[in-house]
This record gives sequence, C-alpha cells and structure tokens, in this order.
Amino acid sequence: MNSSELPRKETNVLKGHDGAVLAARFNYDGNYCLSCGKDRTIRLWNPHRGIHIITYKSHCREVRDVHVTPDNSKLCSCGGDRQIFYWDVSTCRVICKFRGHDGEVNAVKFNENASVVVSAGYDRSLRAWYCRSHSTGPIQIIDSFLDTVMSVCLTKTEITGGSVDGTVRTFDIRIGREISDDLRQPVNCISKSNDGNCILASCLDSCIRILDRSTGELLQEYKGHACKSYKMDCFLTNSDAHVIGGSEDGSIFFWDLVDAFVVSKFRAHPSVVTSVSYRPKENCMITSSVDGSVRVWKT
Amino acid sequence: MDSDEEDFVFFGTPIQREEEITNRRKKAAAEASGNLRALPPWKQEVRDEEGRRRFHGAFTGGFSAGYFNTVGTKEGWAPQSFTSSRKNRAEVKQQSIFSFLDEDEKTELEGALGTSSQFDTFGFTTAEYARKQADKEQKQRPSAIPGPVPDELVLPASESIGLKLLRKMGWRHGRAINDSHATSLYGARREARKAFLAFSSEDAKAPNPADEPVEEPESFTVQPADNDTRSSQSLPAFVCNPKQDLHGLGYDPFKHAPEFREKKRLDLSNDKQHGYRKAMSLKDSLFGSKSGKAAPGFGIGALEEYDAEDEDIYAAGYDFQETCMEEDEEPSSLSIESKQPSRLSIESKQKVVARDEGVLPGFKIASVSVCQLERFDPPVIPKDFVPHHKFPGPLETLKKLDVPSPPEVLPPDDCNLKLLIEGVAKLVARCGKLFEDLSRKKNQSNPLFSFLSGGNGHDYYERRLWEEHQKFGDQAKLLLDGKLSPSMQKMTAESRGKLLGEKPLERSSRETTSSSVASGEFQFQFNLSDTFQNSNSFSKLPEVAKPFKDDPAKQERFEQFLKEKYEGGLRSAGFTAASNMSEAVRAREKLDFEAVAEAIAKGKRGKESMVSTQRLDILASGMQFTSGGLEEVKDVHAEDLATKKKYPKREEFQWRPSPVLCKRFDLIDPFMGKPPPAPRMRSKIDSLLFIPDSVKGAKPEEDTVTNRDVPAPQTGAQMTIEDAAEKEIEIVAENVERPVDLYKAIFSDDSDDDVEDSNTKKVEDPEKKTEVATTTLNRLIAGDFLESLGKELGFEVPPDTPYSTNKVDVPRIETPNSDSGNPKLSSGTSLNPGNGTAQDIESPENESVPGWSVGYGSKHTVGLSENMSAKVNKDKFAEEDKKVKSPSSRKRNWSSSSSSEDERSRKHSKRHRYRSSDSYSDPSSDDREHYRSRSKGKERRSSKGKSSSSRKHSKHHKHRSRDSPSRDSPSRSHRGLERKHSEVRKEKSKRRN
Repeated sequence: MNSSELPRKETNVLKGHDGAVLAARFNYDGNYCLSCGKDRTIRLWNPHRGIHIITYKSHCREVRDVHVTPDNSKLCSCGGDRQIFYWDVSTCRVICKFRGHDGEVNAVKFNENASVVVSAGYDRSLRAWYCRSHSTGPIQIIDSFLDTVMSVCLTKTEITGGSVDGTVRTFDIRIGREISDDLRQPVNCISKSNDGNCILASCLDSCIRILDRSTGELLQEYKGHACKSYKMDCFLTNSDAHVIGGSEDGSIFFWDLVDAFVVSKFRAHPSVVTSVSYRPKENCMITSSVDGSVRVWKT
Repeated sequence: MDSDEEDFVFFGTPIQREEEITNRRKKAAAEASGNLRALPPWKQEVRDEEGRRRFHGAFTGGFSAGYFNTVGTKEGWAPQSFTSSRKNRAEVKQQSIFSFLDEDEKTELEGALGTSSQFDTFGFTTAEYARKQADKEQKQRPSAIPGPVPDELVLPASESIGLKLLRKMGWRHGRAINDSHATSLYGARREARKAFLAFSSEDAKAPNPADEPVEEPESFTVQPADNDTRSSQSLPAFVCNPKQDLHGLGYDPFKHAPEFREKKRLDLSNDKQHGYRKAMSLKDSLFGSKSGKAAPGFGIGALEEYDAEDEDIYAAGYDFQETCMEEDEEPSSLSIESKQPSRLSIESKQKVVARDEGVLPGFKIASVSVCQLERFDPPVIPKDFVPHHKFPGPLETLKKLDVPSPPEVLPPDDCNLKLLIEGVAKLVARCGKLFEDLSRKKNQSNPLFSFLSGGNGHDYYERRLWEEHQKFGDQAKLLLDGKLSPSMQKMTAESRGKLLGEKPLERSSRETTSSSVASGEFQFQFNLSDTFQNSNSFSKLPEVAKPFKDDPAKQERFEQFLKEKYEGGLRSAGFTAASNMSEAVRAREKLDFEAVAEAIAKGKRGKESMVSTQRLDILASGMQFTSGGLEEVKDVHAEDLATKKKYPKREEFQWRPSPVLCKRFDLIDPFMGKPPPAPRMRSKIDSLLFIPDSVKGAKPEEDTVTNRDVPAPQTGAQMTIEDAAEKEIEIVAENVERPVDLYKAIFSDDSDDDVEDSNTKKVEDPEKKTEVATTTLNRLIAGDFLESLGKELGFEVPPDTPYSTNKVDVPRIETPNSDSGNPKLSSGTSLNPGNGTAQDIESPENESVPGWSVGYGSKHTVGLSENMSAKVNKDKFAEEDKKVKSPSSRKRNWSSSSSSEDERSRKHSKRHRYRSSDSYSDPSSDDREHYRSRSKGKERRSSKGKSSSSRKHSKHHKHRSRDSPSRDSPSRSHRGLERKHSEVRKEKSKRRN
C-alpha cells in the first residue's frame, strides 16, 4: 500500500454523543462501528451511511471501552462504574454485569471465541470473566502489574496488557509464562500487528514503540505527535505498512513502519483524538475525539 | 376471592406480600371466624388457635390478664352492697400489714407479731397492767374500801401541782418563769433544737441507756449552748429525743452489748458529710413514723432485686438483734446532763465534720491559705542556642597541627610515669585542652602529675601530646576528607593504618599527593592502605589481564603491585629498592597500576560506572596502554552502549493461569496436575526438608519442560540466563523435590577427574534413551547456575528447568574461540599446558585449574555444548578442551590475538569482555574447584548413565538456536551472569570475613 491509499478524506461525521467520545471501534467485518463516551452511552452506527442505529444506556459512569464479538451478537463495555457490561446487541439488554474491579476499567476485549472477556483496570489488574455462566466473578486475576493497566490485547493463547508502570506484559496461557517488556515509559495503548509478530505500544512520552514480540526487541520508535496525558489509540494499517496514531492537538499521524518517518499528517479533529480504529480489510478509518464527534475517513 | 378471579381479568402478577404468605394459615382461620381482611391493621385482633384474644397492649404485659381478661373472679363480680352513709359512715380502712399478706404468711407471723411491753412508749400499757395487778391484789387482800375501787380514782398524778399552778398563771413549757418575752422563748426552742441535734450525733456521752426500758417518755432538758443571760432565764425544756433509726421506740439494740455502740457511732460519723444537717432533718421528719418492724414484711417490690439479704423476708423470726447491730444506736437517756455536754457535743460534731475533711481535730480549714504556690517562668532560651553539643577538642587539635613539633625526648625512666604520661596525653589529645587544665588543677598536690605543670617528664609529655594531636588530627582530617576521596574503603583502611600507630603523614587525598613528590613514606602508606583492602580478591590474580604486555618489566611490576594489593601482609622490601626509577616516575606508575587494577575490579563487578571509564580514558590517553588494555576500554564502551539500549528490557516469569482460564481459551493447562503454587519465598529449612524427595516429582516437570520448549521455540530461545535464573527460583519455590541420584552425583564425586576423560568416555558411551539424556543435560546445565544462585539465596535448587538459553549462547561464544584456538590445539589434552609466562603470579592452588577458573562461565556452556553436539569427533573435543583449559591460549586471545578480534563484530568483543570479567569475578580457586568437580561429576554421570544419543538431541537444539539470530541475548546473558557471579562473590567474601 502506498501512501496515497491512506484514508484521508472525511466521508461522514457521526454526531450524537454529548461530551467526549472515548472510544470508537469497528466491528469484526467493519460494516458497523461502536462508540462510547462520557455521556454514559454506547452508540452503534453505520459509519458508511452515517446512520445512528441504536443507543445502549445502562452505564452509570463514562464508558471507556467497548468491544463486540465476531458474530456481532454481543457487546462488552466497561467504564468508570467498575463494572463490565455484557450486552445483547439486538435487544439492547444487559445480559450480565461483571463486578470485581476495584477501580475504573480502562479496556475490555473478547477472546477469539467470545467466551471470555478480559478487562484491564485501574486496580492494576487484568481480569478474565467468563460470559456464559451465571457467576459474575472473575475466572482469573492477573495482578503482577505495578500500576494501572491501560490496555489489553488478546490472541488465541496470550493475554497482553500495557500498563502505566511502563511494562507490556504478555501472559502465555499455553506455557504458563509471563513475559514482561519494560519500556520505562507509561504505556497508554497496545495493539498487535496483523501478522501477530509485533506489539505497538503508545507511550506517554509522545512516542509509539514497536516491539518484537518474540524477542522483546525495540524495533522502532515513532515520534512527532503529542501524547502526554490522554489515552490514545494507535493502530497498524491492514497491511502493516503504516502506523496510525492520534495526537493531542487533534491530528492524525501516519508513520512508515520501517523507517518511522511521518508519511502523512492531517488535522482530523479540533481537539484531542481519543481513539482510532481501522477497518479490517479495507482502507477506512474512524477517529473519535473529545469534541463528541466520530469521523469516518476513507481514501 | 377464588370465585372472583373467574370473573375479572388481571394484568400483571399480583404482588405477594410476605405477611400474606407467612400468615396465610392463620388468616384462613381468621377468615373463617369473621372477615378480617376488610379491617385495617390497627383494628384487627390477634387471636390464638382457639380464637381467644390473648394479646393486649404493651402496658398490660402482652398476655392474658386477670380472670379471662376480666377484672372479675371465678365467683363473679358482685357489686358492693349499698350502705347508707347517712347512718354509718364508711369507715376509713386502716391498712395493716395483714392486708397485704397471704394466709400462710399471716399464720406464720401470728406467733411472732405481738405487742411487747418494751415498746410501750408512753407506759399506758404498763400502767394498765400495773393497775390490773393492783386490782388483783386488791381483790385478794382486804382493803379499807370494800369492793373494787374505781380506776379513775386511783389514777396516778400526771403533773405536779406546781406545774398546774404555773400553767394556770400562763406559763408554758420551755418558757422562763420570769420572762414572758416571746423571742426568748423562741430562742430557747431553737437552742434546744440545736442541742438535740448535737446529741443525736454525739453518742459517746450517752450514759448507759439500759437502766429503765419502761420509762416515761424520754425527755431531757437542754440548756442553750451559749451561756448568756437569756439562757439562764429560760427554763429547761423537754425535748423529745429524736428517733433517727428504724428501731422500735424505746428499743435499744446495744442494751446488752454497749461495746458496739462506739463502733456504730464511728460508722455513722464516717457517713456524715456536709449534708449532715439535711440528713438529720430528714430523719427528723421520720420521727415517730412506723417502727422498722413492719418494713421487711412487705416482701420484695417488683423493681427490687432479690438479694441474699432479702432471702428470708418471709421468715417467721425477725432477727432484731442482728439487724440492730448495724443500725444506729439510741442515745436513750441523756436525761439531765449539764450544759457542758451539749456544747461538747456541738464541738464534737464539728470535730467529726472536720475529720472528714482530713484536718486535725480542733482545727478547721482556713478559707485563705497562707502559702501560695509560687510559679516560675521557664528559662528563656537564647536565640542562638543550638541543642547540640560541639566538642571543642578535635578542632583544637586540628588547629594545633601546624604547631612545630617539640623535640624528640626520651621517655622517663620510670615506667609507671611513662605510662601515665602517655595515657594523659592521649586523653588530652582526644578531649581537648580542657581536660589538661582540669587534671592539672585536680592533681596539683599529686607529685605523680607534676609533668603537667612543668615538672618531671614534662618534655616527654609535650612530645607525646603533640604526637597524639597529630594522630588525632589526621583522623579528623580523614573524616573530613572522606567525602572527597574517591573510595571510602581506602580511606578507612588508611585511617585504620593510622590507628595502628603508623607514622602520621601529611596528606589530604591521594590525587593531590600523587602529583607531588611521592616519598618513601607515601609509598608505604599507600601500600598499607592496599594491604588493608580485601585480600580475598587476590585469588583472582591469575586471570588478571596484562595491560603492559609490551613492557615485561612494567608488567612484572604491575603484577607485583597487584599481588601486593590483594595479598596483604608485608611489603617485599625489594620492590621499591630494586627499581631504579625516579620517585616521581614510580609514583606515576603506581597510580597507573592503581587505576588499572581498579578498572579491572570494576569490570569484574560488572558495574560500568562512569568513574572507571573516565579514568580508563584518561589513562589510555596519557599512559602507554597495550592493545589488551585498549580492548578493555573498548569493552567498557560496548557495555555502555548496551546499558543504553537496556530498555525495553525483557524479563520472564512463571505465571500460572487458572485452569478455568485455560479451559475457556481451549488450551491445555500447562500446570495440569501440579499442586497449587507455593508461596514464592521459602526458608532454607523448608527446602532442605524437601531434599530427599523422590525423582518422581521431577519427572513430569521435565516433560513439561520439553513440552514447553517445543511449542514456543522462539521465546524459549530468547530467554536470558537471568530470566532462567529467576524462573528457577520460582521453580524452587514450586516443587522442591530433588532427584536423589543427581544429588549424589554432585556431592559424592571428587575433583581429580579430568574432563577430557569424561569426554572420551562420552564418545564411547553406548546410546540410550533420548529423553532421559536431554533431561539430564538440562538439569546439568541448569544445575551450575542453580548452585551458585542457590548458594546465594540459601535454596537447594532443583535442577530441572528448560535451559534453552545456554543452548543459544553456546555457539556464539564457542565459534570464535574455536576459530582462534584451532591452530594451537595440537598439543592434545593435557590438563595444564604451559602455565608458562605469567604463571608465577598465580598462587599454587590456582595453578591446577586456570582454564576452569578462566572460563567458568564459558566453560560450562562450551563443555556442555560439546556434550550436546553428539557426533563431534574426538579431535574437536580436544580442541575445545584445549581451548578451554589452557590459560595461555586464552591469554593470547586476550592480549595478542586481540588485534584479530578487533575486526570482529562488537558482539565478539562483548564476548571477550564477558569472559574476562567472568574470570575475574570468580570468587576463589577452591570455589572454582568445587564447581568444576560438580560439573564434572555431572558430566561424567551423564556420560556414564546416559547416552550419546542425547547429544544428537542437543545438537539439534544447538542448531536451532544457532539459526535463531538474537542480537541482544548474549550480552544480556552475560550481564546476568556477571551479576550473579558478582553476587556470589560478594556473598563469598562476606562469608570469609
């Protein structure tokens, strides 16, 4: 993919949130997207037509993260109310609430077969919850982090968490190992590359780092944006050719993966870009911002 | 309701009240009786099973009351029959105790309750009785008047005629005869009351009261307290003795036991407080009330507790005697005492009150106290006061340092005097001039202390004082300079040297003096300081690099220097004497040596402090360093780069996913069947206790180890030694079983075995099962590090861990070595080929194992890699062994062949560094021996017991790891190793110390 194919044209603006939008996520096939924000709601959109479909209201604090199962049937969300909500997408009803975190929950993810939700919380722990039973207690608590866990990333066999203590810890369930990569900088957000070999970690020193997962080697650093106090997402494009990250001035940065120069940069929002999501398989991107809007970008 | 349901349509589910559910049965019953449901709650009535109303309000006790909840009786209620109040008025019923008593109680009481003539207060009964007696007697004897005499006629006269007359004249009781003034009467009455009060308290004066119980009303005349004219005018009035107790009237409990009266009085007086008067008035009001007899008969009130005292309230007998002992006694008849007693009684009353307040009898507390507590303000602290005492002594001595030394004086002949002088001088030097003055003043008369004031031995004293001052001043100075000096350790050593009585030197720090002229004294001092450094590090001497290779003389001197530095003990006299250099050159060289030695030591410790590198840089620029030395510097730089690239730092821990999680992720639990993890830290005892456990425990672990390696080869391969070590700790905590055979193999083996023997044996060994061999190898590899680590941590370490790291590291280390070593390998498998050139510096016990000591870190890896590589031919073994063992070849690598190595990549230099540092960090030769013997034992064991087929397996490992390129892992592992070694060494030295 060359740089011309980067999504830089704004096609739709999804408005409806009152207050900041904290996360925007595509669903598994990229036809729909979800956003959640400070107005305690989760909204389901069709970003390509710019239609608001439904609103999920049940949270009593801000919603910080949302994730949808691959079959689009269930949602999980988390936020300031220390609970993880497990929703039924079509009926808008909360199936289950998982309580146990002692603090705000920053991130939540389904595992591959959507049976387990893993959440990352302010209480320095990662917790895994089983969605298909009636018990609301966690099935696993990982509390080796030294500070708030900001982000979580799942593969088939591993749970990876990024924490403010500067570490990215990978928990390999298969061999029972914890691999801790100390980056020395608070890790804001982690995402794995599409080939699964690298982990992109956005640090609070305005630097996005990419790590080789197998060796823990620091492969590259991406700089130029401002990221000092907000949780901001970073992503790799579908072809893993570019790194996308937001900035606190409302810009979106595209870096070249290998050489780490800024391929492109444009101002997407008037204020902080909180979240970036890239559509799987197609060059489409949504960004969310503190200004309450979600914007859809295409090539 | 049921019928209603058919008629109507209901929406939603009816709310079921809880009460409805619970009380359904009752309600059904209630519904049967009447339609209760319609009533509001407060109108509903609770009824029991039989439909009776059993419950009432809280005030009526909540249960059935009366006769079936009525006020009636079984017989029914009969209204009182009407009686006309016109004719016979309804009598006011006098309540008596009997109206409250039950029948049985009444019968019981009947016998006891009777009138007693004792209590015939006014004597009517007695009079009657006497009259009756008289009547009887009258009847019996003949009298002048026939027939019964009417009683009225013989009534005793109640008053005297004089009283009658007075009364007729208008006189009344208590009034003075000649005075008709009302106020005087009133005053008299008041006085009488007072007196009477006094009497009631003052019982000591009470005369024996028991004389006439059947007396006329007890009364006595009381004179007013004050003896003025008025009182004389008044007539003595009869004042009734107040009844203050609950006895029957006229009853005297102390009748037969007057000795208790005193006790009672005391008790009473103790009870009396300021409210005495009030209490008395209360008692006054009780005067004439019912006798105490009646009180106990009433039983216990509802609010009273049933005490032990109350137990026999219904008992028939009333034990007056007992109760009255505790009661107040009666000042029964004070009949006509004089005026004095009354006054006394008042006084005594005062006394009593006063005594209560803790004042001497006869005194009273003054309202204004004479002595005021004087209060003083706390002293004012001056502003410049520092709450910290500064001893003027040392400063004083410091000042005195530049005082010219008094001439050397021979000590006085008297040994005692000499000792005394020395002691005093030392004290004075320490405590300051003040002490001298003080002791001088104190011992003015003492001829022994005449030296203080210029007498015998004064000169010697002066001299000693000066010396002590010097000594002490130097110490103080040292303390002051301590922060400036580069290493505290040296300074302390020097100060220690001073303390031992070395000649005081005038020097501030080494750096400044070194540039100046280094005198013999300085050298000596220097050496001394070195002498007191840790001499145990001397054992690492044989591995010392030769930075002055090109200048053999200098190298020799350097080695000599090192030897002296680490060996301790006395200087060889030849060192300074033999060299024909100038003093300045020698000093400079000395500094160089010092710096190099320090750098080496630092490198050994693995601490790449900026100081050493800077120093080295300076030295490299200024001094002539050989390539070897330069290489050292380069290593340092590389290490610096490595530290800079330290982050991201990867660490690996054991983590135990919960079985549920594994299940939910559709994965196999890696810890399936394992006991739950033990707490991380274990005491030494725990692990020791578990040592003799069977091999079984270890086997599954090994299996999982191999399993673990297989699915994630990459991560496994990238593991650093450090991580491995950490993991091992955890594993230690997890299962502490240790295979017995391995344990034996380690400890039963002796050290005189040769490695090449084992190697050759290995080659010849028959092939056996693969897995067993791999696991053993794994164990062996891990074992070495576990040994060191375990020693450090106090663990007994189980040897089973995946140890892919070594496999990774081995080829990297080994390849260049074998390259360089190849040409020199022809000499075969001698254990100690030429110790040749520089071996003289090595201590004899080191000689046997230089190769091992050098390559401890690399040795195992190399040796084990050899083990692993199955089909290695024998000569390759020989090569390897040679390379590993011969210190000369290694040294050549270090020094002369370094130029060729320069061409190699940075990794290689890193490796060199690693090797050298490792060699330095080896704690001691015997420790090395130990390691060696163990490892050898293990190797031999493996070679004996297991097969060479294992080597195939391990070779596979090797290749794989060779294939996987990892840039950082070697250096990391080196670092980890170094750290570990340094730690081990530290511990060793500690132990030694």
